[in-house]
Amino acid sequence: MNEDASTAAESLMRVPPSDPASVIGRQLIAWFGHVADFLALFGQTLGCALTPPYRARDIMRQFHFVANESAFIIVFCVSSAAMVTIIEASFHMKLVIQNDSMVPGFAALLILRELGSVVMALLITSRVGAGLAAEVGSMQVTEQVDALRMLGIDPVRFIVVPRFVACVLAGFVLSIIANVVCVYCAMLVSTLKLGYTAGSFVTAMRAFVDLRDLAFASIKGAAFGAVIPVFSCYHGFRCKAGAEGVGLATTNSVVATSVAIIVIDFVLSYVFSYLY
Amino acid sequence: MVGGFRDIIDDIGGGLLFLGRMLSTLFRAPPRSHVVFDQIWRVTTNSLSTTALAGFFVGAIMTVQFTLQVKEFGALGYLGGLATSGTIREVGPLLIAFMLSGKVGAFTSAELGTMRVTEQIDAICCLGANPFQEIILPRFIAIILSSFFLLAVGLFMSIAGGLLLGIVFSGITAEEYLRHIPTIVTAPSIAGGLFKCLSFALVLASVCTYKGFTAAGGAKGVGRAVVSTAVATMVGLVIADFITTLVSDAVLAIALQG
Repeated sequence: MNEDASTAAESLMRVPPSDPASVIGRQLIAWFGHVADFLALFGQTLGCALTPPYRARDIMRQFHFVANESAFIIVFCVSSAAMVTIIEASFHMKLVIQNDSMVPGFAALLILRELGSVVMALLITSRVGAGLAAEVGSMQVTEQVDALRMLGIDPVRFIVVPRFVACVLAGFVLSIIANVVCVYCAMLVSTLKLGYTAGSFVTAMRAFVDLRDLAFASIKGAAFGAVIPVFSCYHGFRCKAGAEGVGLATTNSVVATSVAIIVIDFVLSYVFSYLY
Repeated sequence: MVGGFRDIIDDIGGGLLFLGRMLSTLFRAPPRSHVVFDQIWRVTTNSLSTTALAGFFVGAIMTVQFTLQVKEFGALGYLGGLATSGTIREVGPLLIAFMLSGKVGAFTSAELGTMRVTEQIDAICCLGANPFQEIILPRFIAIILSSFFLLAVGLFMSIAGGLLLGIVFSGITAEEYLRHIPTIVTAPSIAGGLFKCLSFALVLASVCTYKGFTAAGGAKGVGRAVVSTAVATMVGLVIADFITTLVSDAVLAIALQG
């Protein structure tokens, strides 16, 4: 954490603003300070994650919390979102051109390219990211982070790194699980409600997607997983004292992570579109 | 497994008792209106940008999805109506409510949980005041009203997102996109979407106030309350979505017969 930059920006913010230009300028300075601090934390996390000691037991405990305990709820929600989308798409295609023959293929395309990974990541944000920000924020407020520093333990290595590694792995794995179950649910709803056979669904699906799409989706999942804990811990470390401070840190981390996920999704989709 | 099942039943029962107590407080000792308005202002300003962004994103995705399908049949003129109707009826409210649950739900349960853990709620009881009247009920009412408003804003933004992607991605003009919206989007589908928004707001408000109020066990307990709020809200949203679809279909069938 770069303490000097944040305190310099904050001391600038304390002087009341006089004209619009200086208001905007101060906001920009504060924002650049945030970005620099965040990048510093991200770099430090990456450096600590790649160098020993690796703290395998902590990583496994976090991985169990992030992946195993979230798997059911995430698969449940993503699948229901996908099923709702398919039924709506079919309903509207029939409404306008009396033909929903393209629905299965494009449903599979939508699930694998966008819906599966992004909705999964947003759900992990509100389940894992919010809880993590609240936990780290409470640690900061009750001075447990300072206590760690006093004992000569690097809080980044102790708190952030295990969660970072666990979230990257969990994003990778959960993305594959969520996408596969999602496609299966899409097949189920098309055979039960829309009158396709399983064979025609798979044939239509194979015309649009192949295994590469699943690989790209899992890469996306890992990238989203890398962002979530770093944002949460960043906002947790900067938490102001009091009950409201913890709540505010939680909210800010959820907002920042959601925006980051959507931006990263657009960038990665653009990059992957050159690889098909 | 049995223990987990019992916990779920326990949660449902506790939540219903909590709602009952809230309802009786509402009639016997209604909260002061300026407290409620303070909370409405706080929740709305906190979450407006996220909801707008989520709505924009959902509209954009639905437009891309429909563009790919409609293009094969050369019916791009219907794109605007299809994407808007598809978003407003079901997909939009559900996905935006997922986003909102992460924001409003996490904030409220973290705040109430910290109040409970640091014994501020007990302090209010000791002073002879009713914590439901002073803390819980204003938040509950504020979350319902402002979530409904935010979801509606999100749906409105989804039209803007769809319009932008329609121009950029599928190469049709704004007039072409907007022309078929009134012919395909009917009053029942807007009413159904808003009905869903209202029921999602109800689920969100009751789950996060209940989980925050019943938090226990220090800083870890607050984190636990936030996590279980997220899980319970998501399951509740999916179930509410299922039920409201059944209800609005039934209402629509009766209306068409009559």
